[in-house]
Amino acid sequence: MASAKSFQLEVVTPERVVLSSPVTFVAFPAYDGEMGVLAHRAPLVAKLGTGIVRYETPDGTRHLFVDGGFARMDGSTLCLLTEEARSPEAIDPAAVERELAAARARKVTDERSFAERQRALARARAQRSLQGKP
Amino acid sequence: MANRRVLVKRRKAIQNIRKITRTMQLIATARFQAAFGRATASKPYVARLTELVAELSRGAGQVSHPLLSVPAPEAPTALLVLASNRGLCGGYNSNVLRTAVAALEERSAAGPAPELHVFGKKGAAYFRFQRRAMASQHLDLGDAPRFEEIEPVAAELMARFLAGELSAVEVVHMRFHSAGLQRPEIFQLLPLQPVESGAPQAFPVEYELRPDARALLDELLPASVRIRLFQAFQDAAISEQSARMVAMKAATDAAEEMIRTLTRQYNRARQTHITMELLDIIGGANALA
Repeated sequence: MASAKSFQLEVVTPERVVLSSPVTFVAFPAYDGEMGVLAHRAPLVAKLGTGIVRYETPDGTRHLFVDGGFARMDGSTLCLLTEEARSPEAIDPAAVERELAAARARKVTDERSFAERQRALARARAQRSLQGKP
Repeated sequence: MANRRVLVKRRKAIQNIRKITRTMQLIATARFQAAFGRATASKPYVARLTELVAELSRGAGQVSHPLLSVPAPEAPTALLVLASNRGLCGGYNSNVLRTAVAALEERSAAGPAPELHVFGKKGAAYFRFQRRAMASQHLDLGDAPRFEEIEPVAAELMARFLAGELSAVEVVHMRFHSAGLQRPEIFQLLPLQPVESGAPQAFPVEYELRPDARALLDELLPASVRIRLFQAFQDAAISEQSARMVAMKAATDAAEEMIRTLTRQYNRARQTHITMELLDIIGGANALA
């Protein structure tokens, strides 16, 4: 029954195809909040934000960090085009802590630098929250 | 006698050179395959992005975007030259640089002198020797350009283009057509060439768009600029390794040829020497008899 409702998830970066596997459910960070997708969802193109993609495979729930890009649901395939995708194993905890500290230390002088700081913070926090997860 | 020793020495030296060039050829082959693999791995992203752009612009009708038009026609253009960090790759660098100089001269004659952004030590050294002012030099890119390294370059160029400081951005690089064919090429990165919306589909898919098509294109177009620049770097990396492979193969073959000639010369010299000695002995014996 689970196999009947599965669809294909592809995560593609400029450097390689990070992931291509059958899944039953995907939650990804859209630009305005998390969005969940099941099989047979209506065709969709959405802008991605920064955060964590959660997907359910036959072997359990897995996670992936993505930073920006696009999602495209097309019939039986959900394709996430992103410029950066990292699996939890690929995240270096020390580097994330450094990134977080650097983001906190950013000076906010105007709206733009505030947005940049928020983005950097979100990036670091999302990566930190991913540690130890499958 | 002295002649023979010289020949032996030279032959040994050439044998060493052959060993080195053959090793370099093998290394270049391995690197070429790795670079080729990376380029192949990035194809799906390009294909999907192009598809998405075409899809959206079909829905959005006539697309107008700041990246598609020229904000300041009288501003200088920028010329990016992608050369290599290392030599011993045949005509690779000279081909790229010749094309770059020709373009530079042509653009300077038509309007303000273009800004020169040079990637790779060989390119920088050449323009320094030519005493041409470079707006920037990037010497730290490795054999395998990473997207994270290219992205800031693209971001800066786009920001300056949108601010009206640049009227166009062009890239000179070695286009990789196949393992046997690479050609220096100039392509225009900015303004972006208008998107072809492709033939209308018989049964167009109605996509739900979040946010609307315009906002999505605002994100997609910069993404396609970034990926095009990244691809240019990847092409340059493959072409460089391919050129080195060919150059080192030629060097190894030439060394082999030279060793053969030297061996022949040595053998002849040795034979002559023996004959002379024999003649000496026979002459001596005859004189005594």
